[in-house]
Amino acid sequence: MVERKLRTISDVICPFCGTLCDDLEVDVDIKEETIVEIRNGCQIGTKKFFSSNPSGHRYTKPRIKENDSFKEVSWDEAFDKAAEILISAKRPLLYGFSSTECEAQSKGVELAELLGGILDNTASVCHGPSLLAIQDVGAPMATLGDFKNRADLVIFWGSNPVHAHPRHLGRYSEFVRGYFRKDGRNDRFIVVVDPRNTHTAQIADLFIQIKPSEDYELLNAIRAMVRGVELDEKEISGVPMEKIKELVNILKTCNFGVIFFGMGLTQSLAHHRNIDAAISLVRELNDHTKFLLMPMRGHYNVTGANIVFAWNTGYAYSIDFSKGYPRYNPGEFSSVDLLMRDEIDASLIVASDPASNFPAASVKNLFKHPLISIEPHETPTSANADINFPAAIAGIECEGTAYRMDSVPIRLRKVKDAPGKCLSDKEILEKLIEKIKEKKGE
Amino acid sequence: MTEIKLKLKKLPKFPLEAESITPDNFAGKTLDAIKKLPLYHGNENTVIGDYFSVSGKSGNVNNTKIVIDGDLSNVKRIGEQMSGGEIIINGNVGMHVGNNMSGGKILVNGNADDWAGAMLQGGELEIIGDAGHYVGAAYRGNWQGMKNGVIKVKGKVGNESMLWARSSKPANRWPMLYCGSAGPFLGTHNHGGTIVVEGDCDRCAGADQARGIIVIKGKVSRKLPSFKRIGEVKEIDLPNGEKITGKFIEYSGDHSVSKESTGKLYIAA
Ligand code: SF4
Repeated sequence: MVERKLRTISDVICPFCGTLCDDLEVDVDIKEETIVEIRNGCQIGTKKFFSSNPSGHRYTKPRIKENDSFKEVSWDEAFDKAAEILISAKRPLLYGFSSTECEAQSKGVELAELLGGILDNTASVCHGPSLLAIQDVGAPMATLGDFKNRADLVIFWGSNPVHAHPRHLGRYSEFVRGYFRKDGRNDRFIVVVDPRNTHTAQIADLFIQIKPSEDYELLNAIRAMVRGVELDEKEISGVPMEKIKELVNILKTCNFGVIFFGMGLTQSLAHHRNIDAAISLVRELNDHTKFLLMPMRGHYNVTGANIVFAWNTGYAYSIDFSKGYPRYNPGEFSSVDLLMRDEIDASLIVASDPASNFPAASVKNLFKHPLISIEPHETPTSANADINFPAAIAGIECEGTAYRMDSVPIRLRKVKDAPGKCLSDKEILEKLIEKIKEKKGE
Repeated sequence: MTEIKLKLKKLPKFPLEAESITPDNFAGKTLDAIKKLPLYHGNENTVIGDYFSVSGKSGNVNNTKIVIDGDLSNVKRIGEQMSGGEIIINGNVGMHVGNNMSGGKILVNGNADDWAGAMLQGGELEIIGDAGHYVGAAYRGNWQGMKNGVIKVKGKVGNESMLWARSSKPANRWPMLYCGSAGPFLGTHNHGGTIVVEGDCDRCAGADQARGIIVIKGKVSRKLPSFKRIGEVKEIDLPNGEKITGKFIEYSGDHSVSKESTGKLYIAA
């Protein structure tokens, strides 16, 4: 039997979800440059590492679509064609960016400005409403370590970390022992508010089953009750008054509370108004005790995309450069809305798969126009693209910076080389910018 | 009044950004100069003459009347920041019509898209058809939206209309919205705006209202629990001196903002 030679890399950051765990151990086969073992990662994070190994789904060379089939081309040819498409477009859309690192994101901003295009990231369809609400009423937040060490009341509202952020519970919010929470789970009271009896709800101390899309009314009632107002109602959003009173009492009497909210709150009817009400509730609870909240960000660097876009343009997402300077207006310049109104004429999708997530009608319009994809794997989006740029996976095959859900920047590590001719997202965008400048004579 | 006529020659592929179409910009200009005013089409610079035929004559701001014909549903920002004069739009119009206007009058003989009359500071905007979302609303992140003026919509207004409206008693500014019916979250974060809905209204009217008056003459799909019933009234006084009569239930709120609220919500009994 031939001995396998392995290289072990420790303290690896997991580039999958916003929890951005930083304690993974990865074994790489030295000869094959493939990942053979991951330790400490959860199931979904581990899967992402294994997906970087060469497979039938992994792109290794640039491709251009011709007569409905793809042909492999040189990088030069692909850049040339992509530059031509983007330069001739009057309203190009640049979308994605949340599953890549910050340097690539800032190159995206540069490209959007150069083209006079529209720049958007996946917050547009996940926590964009949180950002809107934060702009309206601010947000009392902290870092995850604070919650781990101090929180004795943890509320998951419209979020299901058991499935979406599996190690969040173990690292920050439930079982973990904290400095002031020495007894771990026993020192914390867990509340889940959700229309479904989720797996997170099943490990909670109190589960409040609410009618779908009626979160606003419940938050609104709780706010009034925290102020000592007696309400006329007997039941709100399907929750009996007695139970709401119990919850209000729990909220007011904890030492340190936190609401972790997810897309159940941002993407049900009322969107940003739900978050507005949740933030206002947290603000008002600080008259009684210490209370904070935190969005459960999905893509590992969607927080980074918002931060990078904001420090470059002033705005976190849905940015229009058509007049040469950035303008911001979700609803007007957000990708789904633009596509629904069929307002674009070319697109560049970076590290994202809108075809799987956007409404069908908008995807149809996306496919109507030239589409360029920068993506390591075959996805419904990249399979329908006119040009595929094969990308190295940030955080596995190249370094970079990512922001955790609590806005803490963490340096991603490289554990192995990318297969074939892959370049990093940043290199691809840089070369594309160069090519476009050259063609425009700038 | 002197009149300028614009007629759309061809439909734009992308939205045209037409903030240059205001009496303020047209006043005192020759037809040639008006034709050269900028219009953005995607990332392309075009001019009014590329898309519109222009005829007539302009005067000073307050007696310039602009009449626009054609399907303008993809033309945005007509009447942005206008301070006087009149615009008549014969057809549907795109987003942001009359946003930030401080005086004069706009009449839309058709439907208007989102953000009609957003951040209105004065003047009058009348829409004969339906209007989109965010009628008379504050733009993203603004704490003070519509501060004065009147918006009248015959049909329906969409979500979050009159968001963050703000009146001022010392300055005698009373923002008003009249509409046929309304979508959810009407008058959210209201700080003194007055809203009269002739027909029905969707959920959460007056959410986070600190002060102001909302009158709904039809039904409400779901009233917020934080509004408390005061009693029945037969007459409602509006801050502009108008009186509304009928049978209404009077509620105070939104009590999620404060325990003692001066905000009022009236729903037909
Ligand atoms: S919880 Fe998230 S960051 Fe941590 S290992 Fe799982 S997928 Fe990766």
